[in-house]
Amino acid sequence: MDRTACIWLIRRHIDPDAEFSFFGDASEAPEGAELFDVAGARLSHRGEDCSFETILEEYDLDDLVLREISEIVHDADLMDDRYGRPESDGLDAVIRGMQLTLPDDEALTLLTDAIFDGLYAYLRRETL
Amino acid sequence: MDVAVEQVRKIRWLILIYHLPREPSRHRVAVWRKLKALGALYLQDGAAALPDSAVTREQLEWLQLRVREAGGEATLWEALPNTVDENRALVEEFRGPREAAYRDLVEAAGKLRRKVAMGADGTVLLEVLAKIERDFRTERRRDYFRSPLRKVADAAIREARRVVKEGAGRAVREDAR
Repeated sequence: MDRTACIWLIRRHIDPDAEFSFFGDASEAPEGAELFDVAGARLSHRGEDCSFETILEEYDLDDLVLREISEIVHDADLMDDRYGRPESDGLDAVIRGMQLTLPDDEALTLLTDAIFDGLYAYLRRETL
Repeated sequence: MDVAVEQVRKIRWLILIYHLPREPSRHRVAVWRKLKALGALYLQDGAAALPDSAVTREQLEWLQLRVREAGGEATLWEALPNTVDENRALVEEFRGPREAAYRDLVEAAGKLRRKVAMGADGTVLLEVLAKIERDFRTERRRDYFRSPLRKVADAAIREARRVVKEGAGRAVREDAR
């Protein structure tokens, strides 16, 4: 969930033209790619934070709704119940399941983008 | 309930072997807590096992990173015990703590039902129920081998939920009178 959420965050809030490539092992990364959400990357877990939280911090994304989504992503990713967000379990189950049914990560992130768009719209309506 | 040989054969394990400096102790505590929360089994000091899955692999990879960031050493291994018997014994060892936790939850659910029967305050009962259900979800998540008592605990908690909800409904109707 953290990884799909990061991709959505980058596409919608940092760089709409960002290109992503997917590979099994970091050693297969294309040249010049910026790795994220893997050990040792600039945009990755940091202390007790998940990668989504690190990206918010790194890019000074000061947005109440994104903050809320980061809590949901954190609880799903670290499984430590830090924020007690009830959305985490269900969303994590759906995304993990989609990983099994969809042909590849490209197809997966198109759908997870739509899911996070919906989550954002929903929380925004609550927050404002 | 015995685990079938074919099932046991399919199980692969991940083992995190790590070493952390003695001080500051908070890193050791944090790693230990995380492994406990995941339901990992310590084979010995600094060697913890979990069944291999997308989730456990991801969690252990992050833990490995965390240990290294804290100035320790950590390696993550795929492993397979030498014999089916050893593998089966490991499964049973994993089930042990889950069985104990489910037993506690069955007991807590029974206690809750008795409290409803005694006419305890509905709001308090709902809070207790929520805690029991939360604890059940936590156990389920780390119950990698479907301990036999899971079903029993599930049924007991459902029954407690039904009784508490009924009790709450009755209280509202009495208030309205």
